[in-house]
Amino acid sequence: MLRNDDSKKEIQRRIIIVFSAMLFLMGLLIYELYYLQVDCHNKYAMLSEKNRVRLSPSLPKRGRIFTADGKLIASNKYKYKLTIESCAENIFLKNIELLETCIDLSEEEKNDLLEMRKKVPRYSPITIRDGLSWDEYAKLSLIFYKLNHVSIDNVYVREYSLPFELSHVVGYTSKSENSLQILNGKTGIEASMNAELIGELGNVKTEINAAGRKMRIIDSVDPISGKDVTLTINSEIQKYVFDLISAEKAGSCVVLDLTDGSVVAMVSVPGFDTNLISSKINRTQWNEMIKDPLTPLMNRAITGTYPPGSVFKLVVAFAALSEGVITPKDTVFCSGGVTLDDATFHCWNRYGHGRVNVCDAIRMSCDCFFFETSKKLGIDKIAEYAEKFGLGKQTGIELPNESSGLLPCKKWKLLKYGRSWKPYETLITSIGQGALLVTLMQTATMFGKLYTNNYDFAPTIIKSPKNEGLSGKETNPIDNKHASVIKDALHQVCNFWSGTAVRSCKADYEISGKTGSSQVRKIKSNEAGVSQKNFQWHLRDHAFFLGVAPQKNKNPRYVVAVLIEHGGGGSSVAAPIARKIFDKLILTEENGNR
Amino acid sequence: MEIDKIKKRFLFLDEFKILFLIMFLILIVSILGQFSSFNGEFSASVQKHIVRIVGGIAVMCFIYLCDFRIWNHFAYVFYAVTFFALVVVELLGTIRLGAQRWIDLYFFIFQPSELMKLSLILALSRYYSTLSLADAQSLKNHALPIALTLFPTILVLKQPDLGTAGVMFIVGCGMIFLSGFPIKTFMLGIVSGLLLCPFGWHFLRDYQRNRILTFMDPDRDPLGTGYHVLQSKIAIGSGHILGKGFLQGSQSKLNFLPEKNTDFIFTTIAEEFGFAGSTFIILLFLGLILYFFWCGSETKTVFAKFLCYGLGLLLFSHVFINIAMVMGVLPVVGIPLPLLSYGGSSMITFMISCGLIMSSLANRKVQ
Repeated sequence: MLRNDDSKKEIQRRIIIVFSAMLFLMGLLIYELYYLQVDCHNKYAMLSEKNRVRLSPSLPKRGRIFTADGKLIASNKYKYKLTIESCAENIFLKNIELLETCIDLSEEEKNDLLEMRKKVPRYSPITIRDGLSWDEYAKLSLIFYKLNHVSIDNVYVREYSLPFELSHVVGYTSKSENSLQILNGKTGIEASMNAELIGELGNVKTEINAAGRKMRIIDSVDPISGKDVTLTINSEIQKYVFDLISAEKAGSCVVLDLTDGSVVAMVSVPGFDTNLISSKINRTQWNEMIKDPLTPLMNRAITGTYPPGSVFKLVVAFAALSEGVITPKDTVFCSGGVTLDDATFHCWNRYGHGRVNVCDAIRMSCDCFFFETSKKLGIDKIAEYAEKFGLGKQTGIELPNESSGLLPCKKWKLLKYGRSWKPYETLITSIGQGALLVTLMQTATMFGKLYTNNYDFAPTIIKSPKNEGLSGKETNPIDNKHASVIKDALHQVCNFWSGTAVRSCKADYEISGKTGSSQVRKIKSNEAGVSQKNFQWHLRDHAFFLGVAPQKNKNPRYVVAVLIEHGGGGSSVAAPIARKIFDKLILTEENGNR
Repeated sequence: MEIDKIKKRFLFLDEFKILFLIMFLILIVSILGQFSSFNGEFSASVQKHIVRIVGGIAVMCFIYLCDFRIWNHFAYVFYAVTFFALVVVELLGTIRLGAQRWIDLYFFIFQPSELMKLSLILALSRYYSTLSLADAQSLKNHALPIALTLFPTILVLKQPDLGTAGVMFIVGCGMIFLSGFPIKTFMLGIVSGLLLCPFGWHFLRDYQRNRILTFMDPDRDPLGTGYHVLQSKIAIGSGHILGKGFLQGSQSKLNFLPEKNTDFIFTTIAEEFGFAGSTFIILLFLGLILYFFWCGSETKTVFAKFLCYGLGLLLFSHVFINIAMVMGVLPVVGIPLPLLSYGGSSMITFMISCGLIMSSLANRKVQ
């Protein structure tokens, strides 16, 4: 019955076969283990770390913006932000249902949230509300223990204290498109100084478990707040100027301090509410803003370009004196018009100014004198000096979207239109009409260069130690002999009985300046002498006034440049506004000295 | 008289020095592994595990003290009883984890398929202990062992428990092979079995099909069926040579690893002790298997030989399938790692196995 020894031997033989097979298979396992744990270690270690660690950014505080007089104009305000994490649909819906008892959610918002839930990775936050009201916050706090995957975080939003007055200077911010939602400047200082203001992102490394729940913080890098920026703007002057210009439909004003080229005020009317844009603007409001024919979003002081009109005459006069084409004593007889190639070019005064020298011509803004002078000078010389005075190129102010204007010359016309320059074009350019376009900031800078006797004079709007005493370095000086002739003439404009701005600008502290009325269309012969007020608003002339004061030791401190769009005459509209601004400036300075 | 016999048995204990050393090391690893997978807390579950080990050792001693002849004598009876229990489970067993593997005896939740493995080994040993080598050449003499293997395998497969069915099949085939089954026919059977596999697809449940599909292509559904394997591979792979350190395994501590204390206990250990630790465990098991086989060659009776080899095959198939599945080499079929995984049934089964091995070694001189 029992098996014999042969049988046992066969079993022993076969168990060796079986055991060898086992050893082989176990060897395979160890080999595979080696492959996983040693060969592929890096890959799996990385995957394991990715499982375990979630890196979440912590946003820095954006730098604040101050005015020169220490007023905080752009700051960060705490807001309560409500977010929900993407999670399983039933939990998500349950949470939304609970949230609805506290905050109003429209069907559209709910659908958006559900869409987002599918799009974003699991357990990443979706914003429900950016700013919760106190009411909502209080209600939510009561039921917060019932909610899962919902969190209320403190977030910063930008708040501007002078939203309209400084809308173009300071600009506004918007959230970045990516999930970070960090604030980025879009216009104004917010955009140009974004790199300084934005600060550096920090991060928090949290360990999470398989359910996505945060277990502990492994490591964190604190965000570095952005640097504060101080502007050269004086908030009081800015506000005062804004209120003055706001009486008009549209216009702008620049006030420069000649001691260091700093911008004391820069106003563009109409302004807009930067607080609205930064926080809760809706599509309709935005569309309204960008479709407004008055283009409130444009900074008229640096982006808007205009024909300068008579303001340009001082460039022509300076060029003529410097080139020796005329002397201060040379005169031209103004009969009310100049004839060129069978066409008559009229002076603004139909009856003529009689015999005028360069000083008289500037004072009375005689067109004929400049027609005659420009004939001798030629367009290219005019353009050369205009460029020296900073026209036709950006002033380099620390703001985005600055226009460079347009400085026509023979070469430009040939390149642009393929036609040669016509002599009559020189005539109309000499009185600041035609193709010539400038920005208000350029004209103010031009005055700055003239009165500091320095071609390198440049405006700045950021207060920093480096741009102090810029006028002291006369690296590129202007010939004072010719400049003083122009300065005398500009002084007469505001102080001599026949000056164009004498009625509004005669002051104890002495203003020098130049008026300008730039035409926006060709005047028809039958309209000659018709008052500007009888035209439709958009057909009226732009009113310019450029002035400096006070004239202590012939060393003025402030440049005021005013432009009222379609305001009519420079002397009647722009000059009185400039006068009020000067009054305010001098008053503030005196108060400050006391 | 009886007491003398028992005393004699205990004096015999130092025969098992190697077995006890290997068992001791495995059980230490087992406790550390459970301790770690419960996040380093000496929790009630870890205490329960230790109680099970102690209980298991008691059972092992009890089996050792039993008269060795009863295993041979009552082999078919055991088989009949466990097979009956298996049928009962199929008919009215409580449904747990989607599979009818348990039978609730009101005081103890019992898994008949665990005992079925042992009963199968006993029954096959008994049958082949009486079959001569010449008779073994005849196929018809193998009909009963094949039936004895296939019936419980199919029943378990229907539960559905792919893993246990696989273990039974391997053990059954292994023992039939050892008996002197014609090698050519055996090979032919295996090849045709493999060819028939696609037809077996029909009989699989959806979740089994999913597991097999995922095994073929783990990226098919990384957050669904593939998740377990992927996370397990990440845990093992991130262990490197010496591991992340005891209690430092992030995959298991942060619950990325599923079933970290039961089927995937090997992964938990591999993550924390690295290639060195996991190879050590494989070598420990290999040592245990070798010890089982050595006992088989030491014993004189054919029944005892078959019993030892069968138990060795059982241990091997468990270890191999479990480790291969946590590494993604085989589909996830739900086989615990002997003595290391949390759970009573498997612990008892292998403690009984060790008891049987000791008993057969103690009785090796007995013809």
